[in-house]
Amino acid sequence: MWLRLRNQNKKQAYPCDKVAQEGIYGTIERDLHANIEKIRNITGNSADIVIRRFWLGKEDNLSSALCFVSGMVDENMVQQLFIEASVQLSFPSMCCDQLEYIEKKIATANTTRRVKQWNDVFSLLMSGESILFIHGMQEAISIAVKGGEYRAITEPSTQLSIRGPREGFTESLTTNVAMVRRRIQHPHVWVEAITVGEVTHTNVRIMYMKGIADDNIVEEVRSRLQRICMDGVLESGYIEQFIEDETFTTFPTIYHTERPDSVAANLLEGRVAIFVEGTPFVLIAPAVFIQFFQAVEDYYARFDIATALRFLRILVFFISLVAPSLYIAATTFHQEMIPTSLVIAIAAQRESVPFPAFVEAVIMEVTFEILREAGVRLPRTVGQAVSIVGALVIGQAAVEAGFVSSVMVIVVSITAIASFATPSFAIAVSARLIRFLLMVLAALFGFYGILIGLIWMTIHLCSLRSFGVPYMTPLAPLIPTNLRDTFVRFPLWALTDRPHGIAEETNIVRQGDEQRPKPNQEMRREGDEN
Amino acid sequence: MKIKRYPFLIFMLFICMLLFGCWSKKELRDLALIIAVGIDKKDGKYISTFQVVNPGNVAGATQRGGGSTGLPVALYTSTGDTLVEASRKASKQISRIPYYAHTNLVVVGEELAKEGIQQIFDVVERNPQFRPTANIVIARKQTAKQLLSVLTPVDKIPANQMIKTLELTEMMWGENVGTRLREVIESFSLAGKEVIMSSFHVDGNRKHSDDQENVRTMEPTARLRASELAIFKRGKLVGWIGKEDARGVLWILDKIKQTVVTVDWKEEKEALSYKVVRAKTKVTAQLRNGKPIIFVTVATEGDIGETFVAIDFTDPKQIVALEKVMQQEIKAEIEKAVHVAQKKKSDIFGFGEVVHRTYPKEWKKMKKMWNDKYFPKLDVQVKVESFIRRTGLRTRSYIQ
Repeated sequence: MWLRLRNQNKKQAYPCDKVAQEGIYGTIERDLHANIEKIRNITGNSADIVIRRFWLGKEDNLSSALCFVSGMVDENMVQQLFIEASVQLSFPSMCCDQLEYIEKKIATANTTRRVKQWNDVFSLLMSGESILFIHGMQEAISIAVKGGEYRAITEPSTQLSIRGPREGFTESLTTNVAMVRRRIQHPHVWVEAITVGEVTHTNVRIMYMKGIADDNIVEEVRSRLQRICMDGVLESGYIEQFIEDETFTTFPTIYHTERPDSVAANLLEGRVAIFVEGTPFVLIAPAVFIQFFQAVEDYYARFDIATALRFLRILVFFISLVAPSLYIAATTFHQEMIPTSLVIAIAAQRESVPFPAFVEAVIMEVTFEILREAGVRLPRTVGQAVSIVGALVIGQAAVEAGFVSSVMVIVVSITAIASFATPSFAIAVSARLIRFLLMVLAALFGFYGILIGLIWMTIHLCSLRSFGVPYMTPLAPLIPTNLRDTFVRFPLWALTDRPHGIAEETNIVRQGDEQRPKPNQEMRREGDEN
Repeated sequence: MKIKRYPFLIFMLFICMLLFGCWSKKELRDLALIIAVGIDKKDGKYISTFQVVNPGNVAGATQRGGGSTGLPVALYTSTGDTLVEASRKASKQISRIPYYAHTNLVVVGEELAKEGIQQIFDVVERNPQFRPTANIVIARKQTAKQLLSVLTPVDKIPANQMIKTLELTEMMWGENVGTRLREVIESFSLAGKEVIMSSFHVDGNRKHSDDQENVRTMEPTARLRASELAIFKRGKLVGWIGKEDARGVLWILDKIKQTVVTVDWKEEKEALSYKVVRAKTKVTAQLRNGKPIIFVTVATEGDIGETFVAIDFTDPKQIVALEKVMQQEIKAEIEKAVHVAQKKKSDIFGFGEVVHRTYPKEWKKMKKMWNDKYFPKLDVQVKVESFIRRTGLRTRSYIQ
């Protein structure tokens, strides 16, 4: 049975080249009725496919039909089309090409296209364009009157900042692209369109700065996107998983953001942005490790503050990684490392706890993960109840019941807060996973185990690549000039180079010399005289 | 079907990890945290006394019913031919693994100290748990066990009380000095330096010292008190030095941080207190006619703490005169200390080491006879420079 299933699986290949040039539905016929029938047939007479039949032109001599998907087009525009087409238009009978005439007369507002193949008709129809069929013509006109409702631009919910723009991406691809273009008003912001998903035909845009982005990386992104052959892309996460360099890692090798200013900054550093229709999350590649600790606000705040916060974030990442395992290792293997008075205090609390430190830590960590997961998924009104229960369960009751020690509660809390303080959710999640591994190692080998785990993690990090760029750039390989924007953030005027290895090497300098603010020379001379 | 090799290998490695088990894992619940060890000797056998912390009863350690019901420490005694044997034998009474990493205090009974303590430190160095930074004190006129069986009121753990008392008095008064195990062990291998240790004894009525009653009264009937310094020679207790003489020792050792020197002023005895806030001692050696001479230079800085007589502190001459008096006082203390040590023929000041460093070649000749021949007749030149930095908030006292 199993073998048969496997064989069946093997036989069935996914038709990646299903939409061939010739098309599987053939070409449009002259007969309007036949065409309408065909649409009805293929779309299963779907309720939201609107086929509006009318007479075209003042002379009412052209029987035609406008076909669109309701909700995806701008209804007002369609109405105008009807009015223009049926009322104002008059056909000079001797005109050679009526289609061209219509195209140029009707399409005063939007782009039009002539289509012949049914394949094109359907893909345009489904993408929200309106198709005009005219009796006796073997071609149809596709008119771009895309519209419909989208969520308005709101503040991004995942990447908040105190200082900085408040707008975040929406689900509309065109809006998103425009939001970035508004920030970089330069002709070298190039946008390439590509469709991914054999069924969903999701629109994807690749955006990069020509001349700043490395052409090889752009080509790599393009080819990886074109390679994708699957049913559907519903979120940029689908694409991320198909184009990332390494699947078997907990670390994200592609950055994603909800903030247009973040995308703009990354474009200026020579990275490539991938916009996907229907999601506010834009992918940015290549991504390096340190990028996940850089918040947009780092560049809006002054450098000393930004540097302090960077340090804090890296510390916080480390805490969220090792705090519980340090607790386990210190209390089960290295009691001598804890100060005497503290070890007495911990021992007093552990007196009544029936579990070994490792089990205690796992219980608490898992409880916390459950609470967090519950908090994320629950409707907002129930969320409060969860947080109360959570605070009572993992805070008070567990300790009072002698289930866990209160030190453990502190450890779990600090871990939790630390993982929330990590600016990128993607890296916080990977820390969460590694944390459990480190806890096991700590329970087995103590500090030695933690060290082994961390060394393994470092080696793994160094082995990763993102679109050919080593993940630990600029730490390994060491690029001294780019170290200015890693653990510390130098003043902006000192960040002279775009990231080496990512941006185009021949155009690496991003600002003039001597940008350091100083008093005007002439003014200073005057001041001396006084 | 072929198994993919790489994941399989990792899986095998993971399984291997479990084979090690939790090697040398010790849960906190299974440890007896020994905070202090007392060592006595009776009939050729060592008697070890372990002060074990009872974490649940240490006040402040836990909020749940903490401290009020039971005693913060428990005492176990065990006998053996060697200390390791005694430690292992203690398992007959203690339900947990003796854990020495937090042992901060070692108490040696006076009897054992007189007999010689050189043997007992091998185990300290050999055992990875034991810290060489632990303090060591002598139980004056008592056994170590008697000293360890006193409950203390403020610092609930008696060992902590002793360590902290020692630290505080060393810093504020300067008649006692905390000695670490490491220093003792080092001194065994140095010919030119003998070790001194502070001693503690139990004041008052010792009868109910280990009873909770002892800490229920405002003034505990049995109290721990730091007393004289023990002078050792070749690992044996040879004598005691106390009061101002003990401070003289600390002056030379450059261990004085703060202290109070009380001096006479004209006819008035003990009229004026000088608070030393900073002191620095330099010891140098010189050879004259083949005989070593030691120069001790002490520089002190301090304030006037209290006066019983009317002195005009605005007058620089008075201040200079005062400084002179203080210098003499401190000098007398130091010279007395040297005298006592010379009588005991034990170079507790490390003068020999100073000679060793300055004249390494000549030292080789003196080395063997240092304590018995050279040190007792050593010429020690003391020079003190006192400086009054401030006179406090008042320049003219209301005492006229």
